[in-house]
Amino acid sequence: MCAMLQAGSLHLLCLTASSGVPLFSRGVSRQLPFSVIGSLNGVHMFGGGQGAVLSCCETDSGGRVVWKVFQESVMLIAVNGEQGGAVDDFQLRRLLENTWNCMVLVLGQDELVNARNVERLKRDLRSCYRLIDLFLEGAGDGMGDLTHCADCLLVPQPGPLQEALDTFTQASESEFGCLLVHGKVVVATEKWWRLAPQEVVLLSALVRTFSGSSSCDHPVFLPQGSPTVPLRLLRFQLLPGADLCVLCGPAPSLQTAESQLVARFWCPLVETLRGCLALSGRCLPGSVKLHGDVLGLLLINRESRRAVSTVTPGDTPPGRPRPARCRELLRLFYVFAATRYLGPEEAGVPGERRQGDPLEEDFTLGFSHQPLQCYLVTEECKLFGLQTPQHQLYLLMPVSVPTFALRSLATRTLSALTSSTGF
Amino acid sequence: MIKSRGSAELEASFTMIPPQPPGSLILIDWYRSADSKEYFNRIKNKKQRRRFGLLEAPVLPPHLSVDTVRYKVFISGKSGVGKTALAARLSGLDIPNMHYETTGIESTVVFWPVKLRDNGQVLFFRLQLWDCGENALRRFDHLLPSCKEQVDAILFLFSFTDRASFEDLSNQIARSSEPSDSVVKLIVGTKFDLFMHADVTDQDVRKFQEVWGLPVFRMGADVVGAFGEVAPLLNALAESLWHQDCMMVGAARPSPATGGPGPRPGV
Ligand SMILES: Nc1nc2c(ncn2[C@@H]2O[C@H](COP(=O)(O)OP(=O)(O)OP(=O)(O)O)[C@@H](O)[C@H]2O)c(=O)[nH]1
Ligand SMILES: [Mg+2]
Repeated sequence: MCAMLQAGSLHLLCLTASSGVPLFSRGVSRQLPFSVIGSLNGVHMFGGGQGAVLSCCETDSGGRVVWKVFQESVMLIAVNGEQGGAVDDFQLRRLLENTWNCMVLVLGQDELVNARNVERLKRDLRSCYRLIDLFLEGAGDGMGDLTHCADCLLVPQPGPLQEALDTFTQASESEFGCLLVHGKVVVATEKWWRLAPQEVVLLSALVRTFSGSSSCDHPVFLPQGSPTVPLRLLRFQLLPGADLCVLCGPAPSLQTAESQLVARFWCPLVETLRGCLALSGRCLPGSVKLHGDVLGLLLINRESRRAVSTVTPGDTPPGRPRPARCRELLRLFYVFAATRYLGPEEAGVPGERRQGDPLEEDFTLGFSHQPLQCYLVTEECKLFGLQTPQHQLYLLMPVSVPTFALRSLATRTLSALTSSTGF
Repeated sequence: MIKSRGSAELEASFTMIPPQPPGSLILIDWYRSADSKEYFNRIKNKKQRRRFGLLEAPVLPPHLSVDTVRYKVFISGKSGVGKTALAARLSGLDIPNMHYETTGIESTVVFWPVKLRDNGQVLFFRLQLWDCGENALRRFDHLLPSCKEQVDAILFLFSFTDRASFEDLSNQIARSSEPSDSVVKLIVGTKFDLFMHADVTDQDVRKFQEVWGLPVFRMGADVVGAFGEVAPLLNALAESLWHQDCMMVGAARPSPATGGPGPRPGV
């Protein structure tokens, strides 16, 4: 079981779908040899010629490859090197979807689909590298890249922040506004929540790439909402780590919004914002008490497509995984449980059995029923997954917790969380 | 040097501006002196530079209370010359070691304390550096006007390792400024540390300076985070901006009582 929970090294390739011309390649390892790229494209084309779509494969040495063609114009290939046993097809498919979304966000769909000049497209694609690399590296400390649910930070009193955001957004001639703390959504306007969940995740990731600067005016295309017409993402760093975002049309200018609106609406809330920053390690209000055996958790609201995740910070007693490892374990368990038993939340009707990608070999179709709970015991930790019509909870605990106690700890944690935060 | 049409005319008008000798308005070595310490400590956090959000500013005890003057500075130059790196260097952020294209406008606020020569007054300069990726700027028409809106100074960048970026300067200048505008203009040559790969000579730079009458700064030493690396450029920028403001006030009111403009409310 232990080998299953090790992450491997990723590589990403992008080619034109029609002629297989390499457009870019990203990843930790050295550039893949051209012959390998050619073969990867070749086998996919061979399948195409036989009326078959090659979607994924596993190599003898445990590597994995996933292919996907987007809009009949661009082919993305994710390659996970040898001994990458833990990486599931699902993770690689998510990486391809996220990469495509990054490309649309920066360049717009038209340029990708109707590229007339391949050399120019290649050059323009360089502007997507920063965002794509962020997803390759795991998109910070959230889980949104995998769950496609917005990573949130729950604060005890969101009221005043929500009010300030709503009025600020309106004053900025927009309906789309959002306040992020360390890349997690604290409050957002109603319209922001109506963006596709992947878009909310994508915009949060984009804001992470700005880290040090004070304000930004970035043209963005929304992969679902506005793939061909660019909008302007204005982002203001209110305090280091606290970012205010609005999606605007041509007005107001960055300068106008910053000099006339930002201080007016947000100065009165400086202390509240500092309070949010203090919570950011945990993502939960201080009043929420977790059982001492909870090393980490991921809670998803299936209806609103929002998620909150936390790992217990600080010094780790011997024999317990460190916080960074806890985060990794939770991610891997999410993939394990969501793809096999509970079903990942796909955009669409919440709570419904996943229709899924017709190409996926659907393990869950083997069941005549919908599993509601599952657990996993390794030498390193114990994990429990729980599903209700409204929520999914993934819980990480130390090996010392008796297996028979996992379920009750999970149920109690879920009700403690939902009753105290209303999430 | 490759020149765009009309650049001869531009040059002529730039050389008309009398260059003020550095240090005539402010104390350029002040950052090294003991009495500047309590001011510079406000922009430091242990060994590093302190980061300020838009809602923050250096906090000084009442007896040190000083005025803050705000300016907008646009950084212009070919893709890859080092605009983002320069903004990071001046603000004390980590300098990217890889070139990721900037895909829009990113502004960075830098606070810099300065002591005026004539009356010993200390001012905090709040310089907002506007960095826009050159490729984004070409792709989206609205970005350049936004950078030029109410701009007080422009840093024109070229890289010592990229001759094309040096030859592009006249286009950059023509694109972003009018001959008669009152915008402060400085030239910054980046990657001066990579002298092994230098593609622009000292003579090129001297000639350019003679023709255009614009000061040229060299950047690109090892980064240790000390003020010495950024002080010459920040002081020159502050001094030129102050000079420009004095001229403006002088033009409106021939004999200003204070010898300089007062602090400007939010620009
Ligand atoms: N050695 C050295 N490298 C530098 C210097 N300035 C910039 N660089 C490097 O040059 C590359 C490009 O710098 P950027 O600042 O990202 O370029 P840019 O001008 O912002 O480019 P665009 O955003 O595409 O317009 C980066 O890899 C930097 O690390 C310097 O003074 N010395
Ligand atoms: Mg840049």
